[in-house]
Amino acid sequence: MSGKIVSIAHGVEGLFIENNRFNTTSISYNFYLPLREETVAENALLPFILTASSKKYPDFSALNLKLNKLYGARLDASAEKYGDCQLLSMRISVINDRFTFDSDSLVKAASDMLLGLIFEPNTENGAFMENDVEREKRKAIEHIKGEIAEKRVYAKNRLISEMYKGEAYGIQKCGTVGQVEAITGESLYRAWVNMLSSAFVRVQVIGESLPPKFFEAVAEKFENLSRKDITDCRSCKPTAPAKKVKTVFEKMDVKQGKLVMGFSSEMYGDDDVSLPLMVMCDIFGGAPYSRLFTNVREKMSLCYYCAASTVRYKGLLTVDSGVEWQNADKAVNEILNQLEIMQKGEFTDFEFESSIKSICDTLKGNYDSQNGIDLWYALKINNRQLYSPEDIIEKVKAITREDVIYAARGVKLHTIYKLLPKEGPIC
Amino acid sequence: MLKQVFESDFGESYIKCEHESGLKIYILEKPLYNSAYAIFGTKYGSIDNCFSVNGEKVEVPEGIAHFLEHKLFESEDGDAFTRYAETGAYANAFTSFDKTCYLFSCSSRFYDNLEILLDFVQSPYFTAATVEKEQGIIGQEIRMYDDSPGWRVMFNMLLGMYKNHPVRIDIAGTTDSIAEITDELLYKCYNTFYNPQNMFLCIAGNVNTEKILKMVENGIKPKEKFDLCRIMPTEPDEVSQPEIVQALEVATPMFCFGYKENADSMPTVKERICTAVLLEMIAGDASPLYKSLTEQGLINDEFSFEYFNGPGYSTVIFEGESSNPKKVADEIKAEINRLKEEGLNKKLFTAIRSGLYGNAIRGFNNIENIAMGLVDCAMNDTDLFDDVKYLKAITVDDVYKRLARLDDDKTVLSVIVPKEK
Repeated sequence: MSGKIVSIAHGVEGLFIENNRFNTTSISYNFYLPLREETVAENALLPFILTASSKKYPDFSALNLKLNKLYGARLDASAEKYGDCQLLSMRISVINDRFTFDSDSLVKAASDMLLGLIFEPNTENGAFMENDVEREKRKAIEHIKGEIAEKRVYAKNRLISEMYKGEAYGIQKCGTVGQVEAITGESLYRAWVNMLSSAFVRVQVIGESLPPKFFEAVAEKFENLSRKDITDCRSCKPTAPAKKVKTVFEKMDVKQGKLVMGFSSEMYGDDDVSLPLMVMCDIFGGAPYSRLFTNVREKMSLCYYCAASTVRYKGLLTVDSGVEWQNADKAVNEILNQLEIMQKGEFTDFEFESSIKSICDTLKGNYDSQNGIDLWYALKINNRQLYSPEDIIEKVKAITREDVIYAARGVKLHTIYKLLPKEGPIC
Repeated sequence: MLKQVFESDFGESYIKCEHESGLKIYILEKPLYNSAYAIFGTKYGSIDNCFSVNGEKVEVPEGIAHFLEHKLFESEDGDAFTRYAETGAYANAFTSFDKTCYLFSCSSRFYDNLEILLDFVQSPYFTAATVEKEQGIIGQEIRMYDDSPGWRVMFNMLLGMYKNHPVRIDIAGTTDSIAEITDELLYKCYNTFYNPQNMFLCIAGNVNTEKILKMVENGIKPKEKFDLCRIMPTEPDEVSQPEIVQALEVATPMFCFGYKENADSMPTVKERICTAVLLEMIAGDASPLYKSLTEQGLINDEFSFEYFNGPGYSTVIFEGESSNPKKVADEIKAEINRLKEEGLNKKLFTAIRSGLYGNAIRGFNNIENIAMGLVDCAMNDTDLFDDVKYLKAITVDDVYKRLARLDDDKTVLSVIVPKEK
């Protein structure tokens, strides 16, 4: 499984990944824009409003009825952070033509539909329709406010905001409630025009075959646009080490406390340089054989979960855990003790080898998920080589214990965030 | 072992067979895939707190099935996770109301992993010391769920709906109930429910059926068969409490609105599929109700519905976030009554049927989904291709008839409201 990048227009790439194991074909449009306070909320709303209606389907019920008629074609929208960029994705997937009895091609119809949604939205006089804008704004605000319900996610996001205060990466991925409230039909229209003219774009198709003249149809849409100031997705500021470790706490009416620790890493960047950090993180706290799971959970019985994860291109490593507030300091000390063990190279060969095997096994499994493949390549935009999971497996197999120790030594505690129950102490 | 082959008209097929021990085995091969997914499970879940073995009645603490699941990973000389670490597989387990499942997924060394799975699930090792250690970990798991509004809103609804049925109890039990668990009780439950006659093995992915069957032939330890009977308390038709409200740290209220239904027998395949179509027609994203609720600002993308049923319980649930859950519940009731009076829209029916057909085909993309589907087949003695077959055959009249079971007088509205600041 590998594909070749096709140049569609200035800063617009096409990628077809031939894969005949799935019953569906998936088509995604990925727009990369700089992450900025002044544009984040409008940009984040775009994938949602664009996939809710269009000139042809001004009513979302009519659009959903059509999706049902297309044998449950699935339309998805998302707005995520990708380093210091915002990644806006719109995606449709539909069952392959051979499973239906219709004479028309489903894949072609779904592909035309998505193109229409992105390029011919329901707008009037340079603005999106008021009803549509207000509906999507309300949903976005409820989504932002609703984050507090999931304490683990909330705590992790709070750590990121604290750790990257004043930096692009600290911006909330859908903006703040105030920023969403300020959106108008006109400002959203301007964001849409900006997205089409200046975003770096990757259009991806994964399936048995490419719909006829697919990339030509996409090229036609971009032809009349003036494409300029294209986003440079490579600009991603690495995480600077903290001059002094910051501790932040927040009180809430909860039974269980949450502890999140953020670390800066001297190793960061794309696959050619940062893979040892992935292995280090996995041995440290990525799986049931990891140091954190076996010690903080199993031996000390302090928590149900204590896990490490990393954002390699940003040079960020986090550890999060749900603990009783009385045990929070004990957990912090043990987590730091385990990091020191990693830095001294005192992890076992068994842990190292288990990690390499587990990572390679998971990477190979990527081929069996259409969404997984789509996301894999949507995140492979900085590297012209377009590494496949198989390429990365080869690179991971070449990693040595020394590489992992080197990665661990660059990991420095930056910020600690604690969510404490109301009855807990101030610490 | 006698093999039964099931074939679909869209290119998939699987086998079912029964080992002499009574173990049911289901395998669907996906030769084009890199990975495989295996589940070894037992018909034993959180609702099985009272049962009889050869006529002798036994009562055990709430949450013990889940506790047992955690403990089974340990053996005298290490734990199963350490063994999987050697092969690189991803391993996990879960306990639901009516089953406990142990699973792994991998892209290499499938047969080594299967050997580990079959071995550790059949090798219990419980001591007073290991039981005590687990009480700390599970205690934290329970407290984590206590803070989870999504979890609480559902369990509060079940509490409001069921007076006696154990589905009203949290899967993990309570800090107090798990304190009563001992190693002897764990062995008692293990020896009762982890008998192959009560178990299943479901596998999907890049595997060889014959090789698996050979391994199972030698790898399953036969046990004496006995009469196992679940004892369920009598459950009245009425709900226990029609409205139930709890305050937690949320921004927008969360709700779970359910219709209690008669559950004397498990639903047939036709009933299950008619319910799936009906729920889409009532509240799916192409329905008039969904449009109206969205336009009034009463629901967002968190809105969903499900048909939730098992031994002795059956309910249709609508859930989501809303500034006014009471109004959402009233509108759902009104829409159901309108449909009862006016009948169902045939065009919408046809479109939804196509949509669900496509979803069923799409489901075969994912080996985890397939393996879980095979577990349902083992639990309910159904065929994995039922959805695709029956969706072609059902009519709008079949779906209309299903509406009658939704009774206005048997609803529960559970709401999580924000804490007052």
